[in-house]
Formats: sequence, C-alpha cells, structure tokens
Amino acid sequence: MSTTRIRCYTLGIIMLLILNPILTVGISLAASPLEDLKIPIETVLSLLKDPVYKNPDQRQQQRDKILVITRKLFDFTEMSKRALARNWKSFSSLEQQQFADVFADHLSNSYMDKIQGEYKDETIIFLNQETVSDGKSLVKTKIQRQTKDIPVDYSMYSIDNQWRVYDVNIEGVSLIKNYRTQFDQILAKESPAQLIERLKKKVEIKIGN
Amino acid sequence: MKKTATILILSCILFLLPGFNAHSADSSAAQTSSSDELDYMNDAEPQVIVADPLFRLNSAVFEFNDKLYFWVLKPIAQGYMAVVPTPVRRGVKNFLHNFGSPVRTVNCFLQGKMEAAASEMCRFVYNTTFGILGFLDPAKEFPHLNPHEEDFGQTLGLFGVGNGIYLVLPVIGPSTLRDSLGMVGDYFITPTAYIETNALAWALKAEEAVNDLSFRIGEYEDLKDAAIEPYLSFKDGYLQYRYKKINQ
Repeated sequence: MSTTRIRCYTLGIIMLLILNPILTVGISLAASPLEDLKIPIETVLSLLKDPVYKNPDQRQQQRDKILVITRKLFDFTEMSKRALARNWKSFSSLEQQQFADVFADHLSNSYMDKIQGEYKDETIIFLNQETVSDGKSLVKTKIQRQTKDIPVDYSMYSIDNQWRVYDVNIEGVSLIKNYRTQFDQILAKESPAQLIERLKKKVEIKIGN
Repeated sequence: MKKTATILILSCILFLLPGFNAHSADSSAAQTSSSDELDYMNDAEPQVIVADPLFRLNSAVFEFNDKLYFWVLKPIAQGYMAVVPTPVRRGVKNFLHNFGSPVRTVNCFLQGKMEAAASEMCRFVYNTTFGILGFLDPAKEFPHLNPHEEDFGQTLGLFGVGNGIYLVLPVIGPSTLRDSLGMVGDYFITPTAYIETNALAWALKAEEAVNDLSFRIGEYEDLKDAAIEPYLSFKDGYLQYRYKKINQ
C-alpha cells in the first residue's frame, strides 16, 4: 500500500473515532414512541391534578393548556383521513380541511369532557412499546381505576423525528375504526357537506353548554 | 308448530356458520394512489362485519334501552350510590363476581386454557375462604390469579362459530346470536340460577345490575356523546370488543 493510502485510512479511522461519541449521542437523542407519549400525557395529568385549577372558573384555562399539548401529540389530520378511509378522496380539498378541523374539535371536546369531568387520581402506567413496522409503533398503557384496569393502546407513527398518535385503542376498540363504521354508513346516504354540518352541530352544542 | 320450530332452529344454525360471517381487511387498498401518504386504508386487523337484518327491531330496542337508562336505571343507581357506602358496594361486586367463577373456569377449560382454568379455581377457593364468601378480594394481591373473563360466547367464537346476526337485547344491550346463546349456556352453570324462589333470583339479578351500574355511571353518556351515530357506534364497539376478547 502506498503511503498516501495509509494516511487516508488513518485519517478516516481517526475521524470515525472522534465522531463516534457524537454519532451515538445523536442516535440516543432520536425520539422513542413511549417517551413521546409519556411526556405529554404526564404533563396533562399534572395539569389535571394542579390545585390552581380547582376553581370551576379556571376550567377554560386548564382546558386551553391541555388542548395545546394534545394537538401536538395527536395527529388529527391523519385521524381524519383514516376515519374517512376511501371516502377521503371524495371530499374536495376545502371539505377535507373543514372535516379535519371539525373532527379535531369534536375529538378534543370528547376527550376533554371525559378527563376534566371524570379524572379522580387514576394512575396511568406505561407498559411497553412494540415496533409494528418501519416508522410505526404501538405503545401500551393501562389506566388503573377503583374496580378495574383499563388497557389503552396508542398507535403512533414517526414524522420529522417526532412520534404522534394516529389511533387509540381502548379495551380492544379502535377509535378510528369505530368512527369509520359510522362515517361509512352516513356517507352512503348523505353528502360530505352534510356530515361536516352534523359534526359542527355536535361541537356547537358542547360549546354552548 | 313443530315445523316453525324446525325452521327457526335451522336458520339459527345457518346464521352461526362461519361462512356466513364476513371478515374483511379494508379492501380499498387498490384505490390508494400516493405512496407518500400513510397507508391509511390498510389495517392490521380486519373489520368485523355482522349482518343486521333485524335493524328496525334492534333500533327500537336500542331507543328503549336508552330511555330506560336515563329514566329508570340511572336514577336508581345514583340513589343507590348515595345511600350505600363504596366499600359495601365493592363487597357486593366482589361477592357476585365470585359467583361467576364456575362460568369462567369451565369456559377456560373448554378453550384449552388450562392454566387460566386452574388459576380461576384457585381464586375462587381463596376468595371464598379468606375473602369471606367472596366479599373481599384478597386474591387480587396475586397477579397470576387475575380473573380471566371468559364466557360461552367466546368459547363458541374460538371454535369458529360465527357471530350470526347482530341483536340488541332489552336492558342487556348489544349482543349477537352467538353471544346470546352463549349467555343461555352460561346460565346453567351459574349458581344463582338454582335459587328456588323466582322473586329472590330476580331481586339478585336486579341488585347485581344496579350495583355494577353504580360504578359506571357516566360511561354510557360519554360513549353516546362521542358518537355521531350512537346505534352504529355501539354495534361496532361491541363487535370489536368481543373480537379482541376471543383472540386474547
């Protein structure tokens, strides 16, 4: 081997040795689905437990704070696509946008009502994460309640090195599949605009309360 | 009379045949164009499809159950909850759940889940003796003795019996032909079935229903509110739930 080649190889090896720690740090910084789920949820739980918000007047503030977190964690657009499945293509792009917005509002409302109304110091245990396929993972959790434990699984996918939720499975029932069945039947008889109108009414009733 | 009965039984059997029931993967995969988008059409698990030929009747019963819940069951459960202290309610729940042990044990055994059957038996003995006839639940300290909620409907499902048709039963709610027959089968191995006086048996059933409901007030309302079409939401939810339980 010529001296130049040996020099090149040595340089290469030295660079690798220097870069190696940086590379491994980089890899360990890569997000994990479980962590990306755990941190927002634990923040939400601490908001729910925070005595600052005990006063009913503070509910809206608490709600707004929680919504900021959930909108980052849950990919509502992806959920909308999946809930409509093959019907998504038959929506115009304006309708797609409108649907995604109002469906996001509806899901957030349902979620918020449930946790703000019923949270009584339940503990959430984060069990494990399973890689389903490239870029998709299933994180299993358990809610411990008075009389029983409720298994809740989150289907997550990775985008821009951030894991987001695209489906929630409670005791074996997939939220998105459940909505898909309903939307399928509704769209068999009604137009996209009518479905959007229905969702809007549901959201308005909630806000009106 | 005999002819009607024969026809009824034969049609029941027909509905229960595995072939009669459909499991479809979301087969609209052919229509997906872009490979950039997440393959939102393809799911790991198939959608459970069960025919609903009694749709009109089922909807009527669904409405009836809804009114029954809000006008009768919920107020009773709320009153019950206000009067009866939580430890007592929990005790009653444990006691009645313990009574369900023969059903769970037998069905675990029939499904070939021997360890589960054994642990159910252990749990029953332990709770009945150390748990004062089942009012307490000392067995919950041992996770390996956790209850396995098996029933005859699941056993039949595991053997390949199809769901049949969707049914909404008065008071009980969503069910299928198979699961309803399963409930009938389980009835004969439930100790409470052998209570001599009818009135007492019914009173016990009512007590069980109200006591269980006292822990779950609000669940029905939440599910109903979250749904755009409650009837469909409950149907799909029930089918997904049962599918998951059978495959566990």
